[in-house]
Amino acid sequence: MALDPASRSRYNLEDASVLLLDDTTMGMAILVQIVTGLGAKKLYRCTTVEMAQQVALKHEIDLAIVDGMAPSGMGYDFVKWMRTSCQEPNCYTPVIITTAHTPATDVVRARDCGGHIIVKKPFAPIVMLERIIWVAKEGRPFLFSGDYVGPDRRFRDEGPPGGAGRRREDQPANAVLVDAQPDAQLQPRLAS
Amino acid sequence: MTAVRFVFPKPRLAKLLKMPGGVPVAEALERAQANLDTIRPTCLAELQALLELTEARFEAMGQAFDDQQLADLYAVAVRGIGGGEVCKTPAVDLALTSLCDLLDHLRTARRYDREAIAVHVQAWRMLMAMGEQPGAAAVVDGLRKVSARYAAA
Repeated sequence: MALDPASRSRYNLEDASVLLLDDTTMGMAILVQIVTGLGAKKLYRCTTVEMAQQVALKHEIDLAIVDGMAPSGMGYDFVKWMRTSCQEPNCYTPVIITTAHTPATDVVRARDCGGHIIVKKPFAPIVMLERIIWVAKEGRPFLFSGDYVGPDRRFRDEGPPGGAGRRREDQPANAVLVDAQPDAQLQPRLAS
Repeated sequence: MTAVRFVFPKPRLAKLLKMPGGVPVAEALERAQANLDTIRPTCLAELQALLELTEARFEAMGQAFDDQQLADLYAVAVRGIGGGEVCKTPAVDLALTSLCDLLDHLRTARRYDREAIAVHVQAWRMLMAMGEQPGAAAVVDGLRKVSARYAAA
């Protein structure tokens, strides 16, 4: 994921619609200065979950940078809402979660809300750019499994657990590969 | 058995990033840093205000465990994390993280250590003045040792 800070590679964020959610004045100011410096011009600055939901319902979002909003953790709830209640393409939008601190009681909530990656504050501009490039990568599968809807969080395919192979009496895996567009199966997931 | 379904979305962001034009990495990072420098005075003022609010809340705390008071203190301290880096006082971010760790551990274990909280609040004020001086790392190291005492409690 490391990016050479002296790199002459170019990245274009000019036409990307970026949703920012942070309920602190300072957090939002820092985020805005970083993403505008990186070239983003179309920003939706949201300081409440309600504002962010309105934006996500009305506009196509290419990238969401969402603060966990400790201590309430409502930022995680917003990401989960995006994954389960938004129409395409916003339900698949790459999401970077930022967090100042995650209380022990919120670790599972942060892990399972459906964000692509979590970035701990403070973060430098290069870290944010690296994460943006990383979450934009194509080919990352999205997973619908029980309560979890979001990107496949596995970084490596390490195969089955060591030792025994698949047990003979196991049922076959009930996994279906689906192309994202068009996806008639997702129609019931329309936002209310 | 839980049914698992995989979908392979094609994020528009990938295409947009590769569009002609754009900004070279080095230039983008320079611009972002320059932007951050412009908000340093307001960040400093906000960090200072949060510090004063924390000190006031800490002074109002009693001698016994009170979950709500710890939660209130946490809610203020957590808002300052991230500002230290912009204000060229990166140790403040680390000290605040240690304070939040401590408050979280205390709440989880339903324990109370007024001195441990006090040393964090005092260090916050000291680190604001120290900036990037070498001694700041030792202060942060000490704070982490204090908060770590309650990590497994």
